[in-house]
Amino acid sequence: MSKLEDALSAGGFPLVVEVKPPKGVEVAKMLAPVTGLNGQVTAFGVPDNEHAKMRLSALAAARLVKEAGGEPLMLLTCRDRNRLALESDLLGAAALGVENILVLSGDYVHQGDHPDAKPVYDADSVQLLMVARELMAGRDSAGHALSGAPRFFLGAVVIPEAQPLGPQRLKFRKKLEAGADFFVTAPIFDLEKYRAFRKEAVPEGVKILACLKVPSADEVEKAARGELRKVYSLPPAVIQELSGGDPEEVLAKGAAVAGRLARKLREEKLADGIYLKAKGRPDLAAAFLKAAGF
Amino acid sequence: MIIAERKPFREIQDMVAPYGNVLIAGCGTCVAVCLAGGEKEVGLLAAQLKLARNLAGQTGRLGEITVERQCDREFIEPLREVATDYEAVISTACGAGVQFLAALLQDKPVFPALNTTFIGVNEAAGHYTERCRSCHQCYLGITGGICPVTMCTKGLLNGPCGGPIGGKCEVDPARDCAWCQIYERLESQGRLQQIEAILPLHPHSRTTSPGTVIHPAYLRRYAAHE
Ligand code: SF4
Ligand code: SF4
Repeated sequence: MSKLEDALSAGGFPLVVEVKPPKGVEVAKMLAPVTGLNGQVTAFGVPDNEHAKMRLSALAAARLVKEAGGEPLMLLTCRDRNRLALESDLLGAAALGVENILVLSGDYVHQGDHPDAKPVYDADSVQLLMVARELMAGRDSAGHALSGAPRFFLGAVVIPEAQPLGPQRLKFRKKLEAGADFFVTAPIFDLEKYRAFRKEAVPEGVKILACLKVPSADEVEKAARGELRKVYSLPPAVIQELSGGDPEEVLAKGAAVAGRLARKLREEKLADGIYLKAKGRPDLAAAFLKAAGF
Repeated sequence: MIIAERKPFREIQDMVAPYGNVLIAGCGTCVAVCLAGGEKEVGLLAAQLKLARNLAGQTGRLGEITVERQCDREFIEPLREVATDYEAVISTACGAGVQFLAALLQDKPVFPALNTTFIGVNEAAGHYTERCRSCHQCYLGITGGICPVTMCTKGLLNGPCGGPIGGKCEVDPARDCAWCQIYERLESQGRLQQIEAILPLHPHSRTTSPGTVIHPAYLRRYAAHE
């Protein structure tokens, strides 16, 4: 059983901190949070060509996190691989000791740095969860027997502020049915909106890692101008608190705000753990931890 | 119908630059309706090419002919005879028509004048939009008459990605998210339960190209040829 699974099932309020695989092969910076924060962090999220921007493979990065002493949570998108590649990467992950997997559809290629690439989406995230379950049962998606079945702790994404909410709830139900063990939300800045979602849409017992993000000054400015086109929103009070100051100050304030949110989420039992996006920087994650009082 | 767009003139001009007498063969069906390769467009291309070739000091005759459909053998058969006077042929049909014509005129270069884009509809004059990727397994009965394979940019079969904002697609904010539309339509028709069940992985083996369809009434005829 992974530490993440263990902590979630024991009500231990785990913290997952995201690392940033490099565009290149210099991995020291990516691993800095692992060496710097390991004692306070349950697992490290490893993005898979995030925002459709090509980077070092999530599978390799996950293994590197493990070798550096951390537990990886590997993200796996449907965008870049057909079912053969998805399945063989899942087996590869299991063989390399990577148990925590978070499946995603994946941002479309136009949003990234290879806009002419062929988008795959052979499976969607619901189907990918089912495929992973099949592997765990000792069969591939075509029904062939495996020599040795992998073991995974499977996560999926949910969007609390989705507009409209109906189709998102449909997908959420299907992900549960397909065997998601836990969910990671889109970034949360607006506690009220998230609280409403949690109350209305999340069945008892479903494990949720609330995603908290340290936004860049650029993102805060966009939000202030009303130009942030995201599936989450920054409430006016948060924008006001974060605005002003140089980019580094904005990041520091962002880490403090995220920490405060984390503390509330924990106190009010609105989440079962946190997934922190802090630019892959150990100093920001440490500032977050301090503000959260973890 | 099949929608296509005319290639940039320069590309067409360069393709036929080595040839003197060139026949431009139009198609009177889909590409005529979408104003890309019918009789009128053949005339326009001929005039444009004539002017450019004159300026370049190139000699040779440009012929024009448009048939009902280039994807039907009986309609292109007469072109075998017509083409004998020409060194090369430009086809303004869709990719299927160009290939059928090229197969008919085995010894002659046949060049495409169009980029074939998609199977779509005529939204309004001169405005065409895609509707079908010919996936061999139509889901429209389940998804309320809105195609998840085509209208969802990611072709997802089990609901929206995490990206729609205010019902608009993450890829193009000017476009509705197909899955929000599917949900809305089925909800309004009281048929939401249809999309509750998980759709399995798509049978891509069926879409292995080139595809073949034999009408049931003709099964015996073609089976006999095997
Ligand atoms: S599901 Fe879509 S792509 Fe497939 S046949 Fe139907 S309309 Fe065409
Ligand atoms: S926003 Fe909607 S239409 Fe666009 S890719 Fe996502 S699910 Fe498909």
